[in-house]
Amino acid sequence: MDTIAWSVAAPAIGSTFLASLVEAVEAFTIVLAVATLRGWRPAAFGAAAGLGALALLVILLGPLLDQVPLHLLQFVIGVLLLLFGMGWLRKAILRAAAIIPLHDEDAIFASETAQLAGVTDRRHKSLDWIAAMPAFKAVLLEGLEIVFIVIAVGAGRGLLWPACGGALAACLMVLAIGVAIRQPLAKVPENTLKFGVGVMLSSFGVFWTGEGLGIPWPGQDLALAFFVLMFLAVGVATASVLRRPVVEVLR
Amino acid sequence: MRIVGEVLSELFGMFVADARLTLAVLCLVAVVAGLVGTIKLGPLLAGGILLFGCLAIIVEAVAREARARGQR
Repeated sequence: MDTIAWSVAAPAIGSTFLASLVEAVEAFTIVLAVATLRGWRPAAFGAAAGLGALALLVILLGPLLDQVPLHLLQFVIGVLLLLFGMGWLRKAILRAAAIIPLHDEDAIFASETAQLAGVTDRRHKSLDWIAAMPAFKAVLLEGLEIVFIVIAVGAGRGLLWPACGGALAACLMVLAIGVAIRQPLAKVPENTLKFGVGVMLSSFGVFWTGEGLGIPWPGQDLALAFFVLMFLAVGVATASVLRRPVVEVLR
Repeated sequence: MRIVGEVLSELFGMFVADARLTLAVLCLVAVVAGLVGTIKLGPLLAGGILLFGCLAIIVEAVAREARARGQR
């Protein structure tokens, strides 16, 4: 892979790695809550079923990507990336500015555990599939975002496999650390990651949308670096201008 | 069937976290596409409108949410 190709491949792999890290941490918190309350068997069963459902979706819908002309694919993916990336960036700026509270894995773990405890109190203990359901849903719903990001940053330039590699590495990392420490991964700086990924995805969105519209970007692939700098600068500046005292947010 | 509904709602939420932001982005893309298609706008100008339009939209969306939460 030459230097120019790496200028797109590296951000693609980096984006899928970081985005998958965020999503995998969120899914792991719920799987861990199931494991803590009902044991690892239903948790692993639910997670595996979620992965299976995701794989089925990819196998069924993946081949359709080859049927779409490249410019149309870049345009559609570019617009979807703009919507998705700017949504993430908006939320990350609001959290960085302390306008909305940060995502708290410990609080989510506690609430999920309490909810599951309520269900097991009400129903008989043999209903393990009920405990497996939240793990299944968490893996499926968070996994959907990972699948979209991998397809979105990878399909436009034939980078699907490197993007998959980035996502897989992040998921395996979260799984390995999570299983080793058996606690919610609350120390992961989730909003910083989300901010970075929002910046990257929004930049990819502008890049692919422009390419899809037939806009030849000055500097070609290197224009992506300029977009990243612009989104980052505007995001950081907006968060600084709007920053609120933390006490006010907690009220 | 409930899980299918939840998957669809998750997919919808992925792209429509803020309806006004979504609408603004779609309008911006439509305007740039129209300008490129009809008056053959140059790449620098068309790209500039797309990039700076997106930056303006994100600032507006964040400022609007901050204002709304400030009023509560």
